[in-house]
This record gives sequence, C-alpha cells and structure tokens, in this order.
Amino acid sequence: MARVEFRNVRKEFQDHSKESFTAVAGSDFVINDKEFVVFVGPSGCGKTTSLRMIAGLEHQTSGDILIGDRVVNNLHPKDRDIAMVFQDYALYPHMTIRDNLSFGLKNLKKPKEYIDQKVKEAASILDMEPMLGRKPRELSGGQRQRVALGRAIVRDPQVFLFDEPLSNLDAKLRVQMRVELSELHKRLGATIVYVTHDQVEAMTLGERIVVMNRGIIQQIANPTELYAKPRNMFVAGFIGSPPMNFIDASIEGGRVVVEGGSFELPEAKLAALAPYAGRKLILGIRPEDIHGEDYAPGLETSPHRMDTHIQVVEHLGSENLLYFHIGSRLVTAKVHPETRAYPGLDKPFIFDMRKVHFFDPDSEQRIEM
Amino acid sequence: MQSHPQARSRNMLLAVAGVLLLLWTILTIIPLYWMLVGSLQDSAASASFRPAMIPEALSLAPYERFFAKTAAWRWLFNSLLVSSVLTVTNVFFASLAGYAFAKLKFPGSNAIFWILLSTMMIPAQVTLIPLYILMVNTLQLQDTYTAIILPTAVSVGNIFLMKQYMSSLPTSLIHAARIDACGEFRIFWRVILPLAKPGLAVLAIFTFVASWNEFFWPFLITSSTDMRTIQVGLASFVFAESTDFGAMMAGATIGALPMMILFFSLQRYFLQGITIGAVKG
Amino acid sequence: MQTTASPKRAPSGSGRFWREYGWAYLFILAPVLLFLVFTLYPVASAFVMSFQQYQVMGSTWIGFDNYKHMIGDDVFWKSIRNTVVFTIATVPVNILITFVLAYLIFQMKNKAQTFFKATLYLPAVASGVTISVVWLAIFDPTDSGLLNRFLGLLGIDPVIWLGQSSTALFSLILMNWLGSHGAGIILYLASMGGVPKSLYEAADIDHASGWTKFARITWPLLKPTTLYLLVTGIITSFQVFISVYLMTQGGPNFATTTIAYLIYQTAFQFYEFGLASAQSFVLALLIIIVSVLQFKAFSSDVEY
Repeated sequence: MARVEFRNVRKEFQDHSKESFTAVAGSDFVINDKEFVVFVGPSGCGKTTSLRMIAGLEHQTSGDILIGDRVVNNLHPKDRDIAMVFQDYALYPHMTIRDNLSFGLKNLKKPKEYIDQKVKEAASILDMEPMLGRKPRELSGGQRQRVALGRAIVRDPQVFLFDEPLSNLDAKLRVQMRVELSELHKRLGATIVYVTHDQVEAMTLGERIVVMNRGIIQQIANPTELYAKPRNMFVAGFIGSPPMNFIDASIEGGRVVVEGGSFELPEAKLAALAPYAGRKLILGIRPEDIHGEDYAPGLETSPHRMDTHIQVVEHLGSENLLYFHIGSRLVTAKVHPETRAYPGLDKPFIFDMRKVHFFDPDSEQRIEM
Repeated sequence: MQSHPQARSRNMLLAVAGVLLLLWTILTIIPLYWMLVGSLQDSAASASFRPAMIPEALSLAPYERFFAKTAAWRWLFNSLLVSSVLTVTNVFFASLAGYAFAKLKFPGSNAIFWILLSTMMIPAQVTLIPLYILMVNTLQLQDTYTAIILPTAVSVGNIFLMKQYMSSLPTSLIHAARIDACGEFRIFWRVILPLAKPGLAVLAIFTFVASWNEFFWPFLITSSTDMRTIQVGLASFVFAESTDFGAMMAGATIGALPMMILFFSLQRYFLQGITIGAVKG
Repeated sequence: MQTTASPKRAPSGSGRFWREYGWAYLFILAPVLLFLVFTLYPVASAFVMSFQQYQVMGSTWIGFDNYKHMIGDDVFWKSIRNTVVFTIATVPVNILITFVLAYLIFQMKNKAQTFFKATLYLPAVASGVTISVVWLAIFDPTDSGLLNRFLGLLGIDPVIWLGQSSTALFSLILMNWLGSHGAGIILYLASMGGVPKSLYEAADIDHASGWTKFARITWPLLKPTTLYLLVTGIITSFQVFISVYLMTQGGPNFATTTIAYLIYQTAFQFYEFGLASAQSFVLALLIIIVSVLQFKAFSSDVEY
C-alpha cells in the first residue's frame, strides 16, 4: 500500500554561476510497503536529496515519484502522508514538547481530543510523558531525538523519512537508539526510508540498502548480499570496516599472481576469469578473510599462503589489525588476538580464497563467478 | 621576580588610560549636562541672567514657557504616533522580506535583492525633490501622517539587516514546519518570528529612535503647526524664540529625553545591536 | 472531457510556479512596491528633472543648462569645498579618537567597559536638532556662551564662533569632534574582542614588542572595521545638513554652505527643482564613488 517508487528521477541544482550540478542522475527503485530501506553513501552522493524529494521539500527536475499509488510530483509535503525526522532534530525551540508534538496535527485542524490522544500515545511509546511541559533546550540530545521521533509518530504517516537522525548522538547512545528504531519499525509497521553516511548503521538497520555515489545508485540489496557480493569496487570498499583490500593481480597459468606471490584457484573460478588471462585485474579480499598461519580455524591446511613482513599492529582487544605491503598496496588483516604479531615480524598469512572477489580494473565492476 | 615591576607599570598605564577616558567622557557629556542645567534655570528671571554650571536654584519655569508658547504636547503625540507606526511597519515588512530573501528560493531573488541594496548608495537628497512633488502635487498628501510615514515605511537597510539575521536561523525548522502541514505565512509567524525576537527587538529600538530623531522629511512635508513632529517643532521654536535660553534648552531636553530614557532602560539592546549587520571584523 | 495532464497528477506549469514561489513574491511585495514608488520613480524623475526647468504646469526641456549653470556657480564650488574640508577634517580625526578610546576601554575591566561604552554612546540617541540647539548655546558669541567662558578662564576674548566666516566652519568641525563616538567604539571593541588571544601569545613567544604586536596584529585585523567607519563616516558627512540649517544657515557668506544645504536652498527656498536635482546628482556621484572604492577595498581584503 505505502510503497515508494522512483521512476527515472533526476535532480539538478543550479548554482550561482549557472552551472548545473547533478545531485541525482536518473534513479529507479521501489521501496515496498512496511520495508525499512537505508540510503547510504558518502556526502554529496544524492541520498539526502532523494529523501527530500520523497518528502516534497525538493522537486525533481524530471521523472516521477510515487507514494502508494499516487504520483506525488507536485504535491505539497503535507499531502504526501509522510513524516520526517531531521539530523538536527529541528524541534521548535520556543514551543514546549507537547506543542512540538501537536503542532502538525493542529495545522491539519484535527479535533483536540484526537490530538491529545495521539500525543499521549507517542509519549508513552517513547517514555517521555514527564517531559511534555518542557522546552527542547532543557532536554538532553537523546531526549530531543525521542521528541523528534515522537513528532513523526503522532502523524501516523504511511512513510517515515529519517535524515541521519543519529549522527548527533554519542556512540553509546547511537547503539541504543539503533535497537529502539528497529523495534519501533516492527511495532509501527510503517515504511521507513532512512539516510545515513554510516555503513554500520546502514547494515544494522536496513532490510535493504541503497548504496549511492555521485548521484548514481551503485547497488540495491540486503545487507548479506551487499557484503558477500558487492557489485563494484565502490560498494566493496564502502561496506565493511576496515574496508576491503584491493590488490593488483593477473592470471598466469591457472594461478592468480600478485606481487611477491601467487595463489592457486579452483577450476570453477578460473573459468570465469578466463577472459582476463594475461590482463590485469583487481583482487579484493576483506581484512577478516586474511588469517595468521598460527590461528586460522578450518584453514590450517590451506595452500593459499603468502610470506609478509608486518609493519604495524593495532590492538583492538577483540581483534588485532595488522598492516603489511603486497607490492605497493598496504594491506590490512583483521586477525584473532591470539595470532602472534609484532612490527617487523616476517610471517606467512593464509588468504581465504573462497571469499575472494575479482574486479575489472577499467569498469571497476565485479567479475561474476 | 621580573613580574613585579612589569605589573606595576601595567597598573600605572591602566590608571593613565582610565583618567584619559574619564576626561574625554566628561567632555562628551558636558553639552548634555549644559542642556539639562540650562533648562532648569529661569533665564527670564533677570536681564543680567547667566546660566551657571552648578545652579543655585532649580526652576521648571523654562519648561512651562516652552509648553505654553508651543504645541509641544501635540508634537510629542505626533512623534510618538509616527515613530510607533514606522517601527511596526519596518519590523513587520523588513522581517518578512528579509526572511524571503534569506530562506525562500525563488527566481530573481538575488537580482531583486541587489537592485534594492544598490539604491542604498543613492543619497536622500536625490529622491527628496520628486518625492516632495509626488506627495504635495500629485497625491495631495501634504501635512498628513500618511505623507510622513509612507516613504520610510520599510527601509532597504532594515531588510538587509533582517536578511543577515534570518540567514543564521536553521533551515531545517522551516522544512520541519512544512512537513508539519504549516502554511508559508504561518511558518513565518509561528516559527520564524518567535526565533528572531532578539533581532526584531534591536530593529524595533533602532527604528524607533531613528524615526523619533528624523528631521528633514517631516520638516519638508508638514506645513501646519499641528502636524509637526517634536524635532520639527523644536527647530521652528529655536528660530522663533532664539533669545529665550532656558526655554530653548527645555525644548532640546524634551526632544531628547524620551530617547535617553529608552536608552537607559534598554541599554543592553542598544550596545549589542550596533554590531548586528555591521562589518564582521 | 478534455484533459491534457494525467488525471492522477497534481496541477503543473504556471499553477505549480505560483504555488511554489507565490508566497515568496507576496512576502517581498510591500517593500518592492514602496521601493518602486518612493525610490526608483523619484530617482528617474530627478534625473529627468535635472534637464528641465521645473514648473508645476509642465516643465520645459533645457538640456544641460542646469549642469552648466551649476558649474559656473561660485557658491556650488564653495559648497563642494566646504563639504570636502568638513569631511577631511572630521572623518579621519573621529576615527583616530574612536580608535584610541576603544583601545583604552579595551584595557578596562568588564564593568568599566560597559560604563564607558554606554556613556560615550549616550549623545548618539539625542536628535540632531537637540544637539544643534545645545551647541548653538555653547557657541553663544557673548561672554555667557559656554565656550567663551572657558576661553575667558584662559584670558582669551570672546569669539564670534558661528558669526564670522573665519571660524564658522571650524565651529561645526569642533562640534563634530566632540560628538558621540559610541557606535564606532562598540564596533572596534567587538573586533578587538574577536582577535584570537593565541595570536598575541604566539607573538609573545617570538618576543614581539608591544608596538610590533599593535602594528602587525591589532591594526591589520581591525582594518575592516576602520574601512567601514571611514566609508560610513564619509557618506554621513557628505550629507551634513541639520547643524548647518539650524546653526548657520550656510553663512556667513556661504562659509558653511555644504552640498546638502545648497540642494535644500536651491529646491525649497528658490524652488529651482531642476537645478537642485542636478546638484543632487553630483552628491550622489561622489557617494557612489566612495561606496565603490570601499567595495573594492573590502573585496581585495577578503582575497588574502
């Protein structure tokens, strides 16, 4: 019912010098009813502009936006049956929390009993009954965040729009609010579109994730697929922390050759890579798929080893990050803390070739296998 | 052990600075003091009267004469009316337009704003003559409140100040209000104006004082005694009664006193307000 | 039934244009209308008038005669000279006074700062008429005038301050020096407070002298404020009118006739609207030149 659809939506901005800048370059996607979808990407990728076009705060240059079954291209935000939570909360500083919550409903000329009922409901959902008489400046950041949520909830919208709502909170509170948001989504059963630049937030919250860069949608997938099968190098590098290692490689005599070593490849993968024989390509491997020889559960007998020279060791407690060079590329390995490592140590590492990715160096697209 | 003589010489410098400042301050205040003590001594008491810096006896006779010889109450009322109306119109229209220029995107907004702003360079002397002809000959509005008020009902300078001020308000509040189904004028009235209160207060105070002190336009456009503002009336009184020192000083005091009282009661706004809109140093 | 747009769509085209921007245009409507009627039309009208001999029942076109007449008029040149002398004598001195006062106040504690700021600002809230009337009394030519009494203490005979051409303009200048410098002081203080302390600390580490700190840090960083005061000061003093009108009426022998006063006289005492318009455009030109120079100075300031 409350699906959101983009049909070839473009948005261009004109700056003062009259040069136009393309913020969104022809987006097509469908967000299903009751789905929690996250737009993620670096700043300037078009995620916030896309969200604001759904809200009606910006108008697309071309293309159609549908909410439910309606084309909402020319509809005012108030007629789109949406509610929005802003990055800086955008609470009206001169109004009490109660007035902040009820302002929208009053503008819609709802009856007083209805408004009181809605405010009461939202306040109880979010545990903020005692704050109703206060002003926003008397509240902590986390409490303001709740009020901003509450203001969206009282509207009972078909679609909730979140614009980086957690970015102003401290790390601990952010984790807590993430959990609450997931629960709220289940409870409200509404469609949620959520914008963030934080890939951890995207992965933990989104049922599906739309990865954007420079106005272009890079991939739309659920978190598992996004992690396991990134469609191109941008997605591969953006999702996952620390980011995926990219190593220059080539295929020679059935082996993947990198500077300082080579790996054998299973037949199936070799077949997919056949067109690249004698050409350069890029091998991608996540830091967590590189293991120290002395701690590689299940891979002890793996032949995919390489001698390296550890340069830096970062101790994170639950794991250690080791840095070494393969050719000119600095490679990161995320290893179990029991792995023996110190700067200057020469040590063989095991590369989990089951989880390795290959990319075309020109198109940066994933080579499917 | 070096800090002692340094601290001492710094204290000496501070003391010298303080004395210099005090002397200049006295010099600045003397004319106003002279006005006040002059207005409280009865210059008509004897032919050989000389006003004293420290009067022996205070008298309200000069004020009585000033009010008796002039329509000063009426002038004060006119000034109050004109200044109040101008304050309301300037604050309302300048904040409305300033908000539009600062926060609403519309085609031509930059061009219109710069055209408005660039005419600030044109001195009043250029426009006064056609304005006078327009008001007196074309619109037949000579000697009316409308004529005094209309040309300065909203000044470009004030729009500029308000644009600067409004630019600093968070845009997300406007977006939130739009999502909250708030109409555009209601956004201005219910969300923007309450947030802009400190700026509006400063604008109101400075507009009120400037309108109260305005001389030239009300002087040109009024002809009857009853339509003069206090400044115009005072000037006319000085020409007519230049020999009555006490009454002149009483009139001068009457012309300035309301603004001085305003200044002392709202000092904070005055002193902070000056830096709004001026250069960022 | 004929519809051009898909029925599901909201109205588009000009309807959408007004719905999206209409409010903004409405919000600026009043100022724009007032601007058209009370600024733009008068400027255009004044320009046309400056080529005319104005008469209520239809003016006659006389080409550049007003401008020619103006250029041939000694009083016009005298008014330019007076205005320029007044400006040069007042503006730089006032800025110097303002700066020194602000610098001294800046050394004071908070409460003393507020006291001096407020007291030095006070005369600025008194009207130009009030100030002129008071100074009229101070410049009283008899020995009961305040200034002459002061000179009497020093054994100097009374001076006919405003009544003789040798001292009249100077009297107006003197009054200006002793006027309120409060606004400028407050602007300077705000800028001085905005200079990062770390700059002075860095200078201390480099063993900079007090003078070096002033010349290399304080003064350059206050330059925008100084420029602002310079330009607003020049523009204001180009238009000096009230004190001339109330205290000297431009006399004696045109010794204090400023451009603004000359325009007033030409227009509203002799009703030569055309000639007065021509004169006013000269004043406008001077002011525009100063403003543009200021704009250039400011933008070059921003660049480095």
